Amino acid sequence: MNPLVPSPDLLPVSRAMLEALLLLTFPLHLLFMNALLASVLLALWGHYRSAEPAAQRLSYRLAQLLPLLIAFTINFGIPPLLFIQVLYGNFVYASSIVMGVVWLSVIPLLLTLYYVAYVYDFNFWRLGRKAALLLAAVGLLVLAVAFVFSNNMTLMLKPEHWRAYFSADGGWFLNLAEPTLWPRYLHMLIGASGVGALLVALLVGLWRRQDPAVADLARRWALRLFLVVLGLQIVAGSWFLLALPADVLLLFMGRNSLASLIFVLALLLVALLLYLSLRQRFGLVATGAVLLLYLMSFLRAFVREGYLAKTFVELVEQSPQDLTPLLLFVVTLVIGVALVAWMVRAALACRE
Amino acid sequence: MNYPVWYLPGVGGGLLMAIIAITHVFVSHFAVGGGLYLVLTERKARRENDAQLLEFIKKHAKFFMLASMVYGGVTGVGIWFTIGLIQPDATSDLIHTFVFGWAAEWVWFLVEIVALLIYYYCFDRMDEQRHLLVGWIYFLAAWMSLFLINGIIGFMLTPGDWLENRNFWSAFFNPSFWPSLLFRCAMATLLAGVFAFFSTALIGAAGFRQKMTRYTSRWCLLSLLVAGLAGFWYLQVLPGSAQQVLAISPTIQRSVIIGAFAVLSLAALVTLFTLWRPAWHNLTVALLVALSSLLVMGAFEWIREADRRPFVIYQWRYSNGIAVSDAERLDSGFLAQCRYSREREVREDNLMAAGAELFRFQCYACHTLGGINNDLRTRTASASFPGMVNYLTTMHEKRPFMPPFIGNELERQALAAFLVGELHGKPVQRTSQSEAHPGETLFAANSCDMCHEAELVFNWAQGKSLAEVDQGLATLSQIDSSMKDFSGTEAERQALAEYLLDPHRTAVAAAALSGLQVLEEHCVLCHDAQLTLDWAATRDAEAIRHGLLHLSQINSSMEDFAGSEAELDALVLFLAGQAQGGVQ
Repeated sequence: MNPLVPSPDLLPVSRAMLEALLLLTFPLHLLFMNALLASVLLALWGHYRSAEPAAQRLSYRLAQLLPLLIAFTINFGIPPLLFIQVLYGNFVYASSIVMGVVWLSVIPLLLTLYYVAYVYDFNFWRLGRKAALLLAAVGLLVLAVAFVFSNNMTLMLKPEHWRAYFSADGGWFLNLAEPTLWPRYLHMLIGASGVGALLVALLVGLWRRQDPAVADLARRWALRLFLVVLGLQIVAGSWFLLALPADVLLLFMGRNSLASLIFVLALLLVALLLYLSLRQRFGLVATGAVLLLYLMSFLRAFVREGYLAKTFVELVEQSPQDLTPLLLFVVTLVIGVALVAWMVRAALACRE
Repeated sequence: MNYPVWYLPGVGGGLLMAIIAITHVFVSHFAVGGGLYLVLTERKARRENDAQLLEFIKKHAKFFMLASMVYGGVTGVGIWFTIGLIQPDATSDLIHTFVFGWAAEWVWFLVEIVALLIYYYCFDRMDEQRHLLVGWIYFLAAWMSLFLINGIIGFMLTPGDWLENRNFWSAFFNPSFWPSLLFRCAMATLLAGVFAFFSTALIGAAGFRQKMTRYTSRWCLLSLLVAGLAGFWYLQVLPGSAQQVLAISPTIQRSVIIGAFAVLSLAALVTLFTLWRPAWHNLTVALLVALSSLLVMGAFEWIREADRRPFVIYQWRYSNGIAVSDAERLDSGFLAQCRYSREREVREDNLMAAGAELFRFQCYACHTLGGINNDLRTRTASASFPGMVNYLTTMHEKRPFMPPFIGNELERQALAAFLVGELHGKPVQRTSQSEAHPGETLFAANSCDMCHEAELVFNWAQGKSLAEVDQGLATLSQIDSSMKDFSGTEAERQALAEYLLDPHRTAVAAAALSGLQVLEEHCVLCHDAQLTLDWAATRDAEAIRHGLLHLSQINSSMEDFAGSEAELDALVLFLAGQAQGGVQ
């Protein structure tokens, strides 16, 4: 075991239960994050193609969506961040400290992009050309936040890189020497744009009754974006895969049958999505995209396990386990989901 | 100790935490109380069919959304990021204890967001009753967030029965839970009013502006009253040692003064400018009210955090992240057992570097070097090396809000060397092995403590004369047949006897005791030496002695002089001599 890996604390419930919660909630965060990134791209395209009849109106609808997507991306980021700290806190706290300044910069970056998105939304028609500039700023800030996350998520898997702390402890470290950093970052962003575009088209579809032209345009552009990034993803995905250490890569090549099965299923699902999108079966495409997000985050978990297997983590569970706090969460979740469902129904029924 | 330290000596983690936490707490309490303000005021407007008031509430809801959801939401995540960076061990304790409490809080945060977005975006487009209901759901969700987080924050100061049973519910419903909840609810409604003053200042119609300003003033004054009562209740449930820290910690005293002034100015502003003469109300008044309440909230949070000292989780983990249960193990050698220390032991050639590491892992959690907060450079300016070594031995007794130094004797000297030699360039003269009492060396060489406890020998020697001890050593076999008589020279036997009679060399030390040294050891870590000299300058020896024995009457943050009689004599002699010198 690497002596730099801090000793873990006792787990309050079984490791499997916590892993399940992590894997159930993380794709929800991805769902909104993907839609956020794709909204920025599609709205920018709308500004660029402003001569097209519905293009400006599409950008406007996306401007209205942006702050909501930011709010839910942040909100749904909380449970995976919580569960990852319980399971892998001894890795992620250490790596975060090594890049402390960079890691904490996520907060001012988020605050800025959130407020800029509101300025863009509330002043859309008054801003004129400046609108596209503000939107581009939001996009760059999103990319910056994603880059910080890619750094920390790769750094937490490589305790040997934490040695950097001994020569620079001010927290300015970036994991640039990591061979999987760039392919992983690109793979995530490209995948996110494609899947996100499909989700955004679905959301813009909510305005179909008021503005069918905008809903159609969103669908058309979303499909086009999806197809373009699919091509790019074949390159970035392969690069990422080949950049993985051999023992991690081999997990998907038969060494671990479940990991290999999910890998093959994910590839088949991508092919199916391509077919369905060419056939314009939109509802099915979006459903498949959500499924794909789940499969991809399972693969991501296998990558993490592959790395950490080398570091030998002995996670101890507390005994006897007290399940009443879990019950508190489950009951709260049921009440919360019921309240949200009621409110969303009420909102969808309200007058335009 | 288990984790690396994110080291920004000129800034310090505490200040970062304060900036993010205090502004977050300020806005997040507003997010709770403001929900109630919105929904009650909307209900009033609907009942009285007041279109003007309804328009006001709609505008206020937008401001509310941008302040609470955006700033409050993001800085809430920011607190997580920050505590993970500056207190990873304690954060891990909290996360592992409260993961499902936090998960439940996340659910309410989600309900809060959905409710607030729908409340704002569907303001005029929804059935009235339904819209009000969404408002109430928002308030419920926000209040539940406060309810849940209140249990987790309170746990750090008063973990109560959890220390024994490790039970989630004991930790959550800890001794300060209910008074703290009431206090926070009152602060939440107070801040709702404070923020509403901004919106009322912007109302165009004079009559309506004054009406709403007065309405908001009553809201604030009632909240302030409840907050005061709850604050008093809160103080009653604090453990005794925390009450003591409350009374003597200098940073707490400063916060109490700031808080008291802020409460007075808040009460005055809200009574005078907004209730009595609402016509005087404007944006500047709103800003002053907000500043005063930020100071009230900031002072409260600072006092609550500082009162936990010397712990970050009371009686469980020290402020510097070291678990109380690990302290004994680490006393045998801190650096060797510290995962992220660059130095593993103290040697002649790494004294300062080892001291710097000890500073980083044991002091930096609360102290900066040249920063705004708790600057250790200024605080150690008048200390000498022996004074500092002595201070590090007893600082947790002299200043109960500081954790004990953890590590072995060499490490204590290394830290003192860093604080005195490295920071201030003062001479560092360590006690070398040759200066050790020859009797001590003989005692170790004869390995008396291999067969029986060392204490047994010291207890035996106690009360005897030097000759008796010397004689006893020569005839050990008569005391117990399994022992052999001392076989060294006569001089060696005498030296050993001297050591056994006075193992800590207090008699020798007292003989050579200098008053200046006592002054350095006992006084100058808290205040300048000149302050003591000035005080003594106008007093005779008797008055100085009396004053030293009753220091707590001069300033409640000081303790009465607790050194030995010999130390007191030396200090009185020195101070009185200095005073005469001053007169001459």
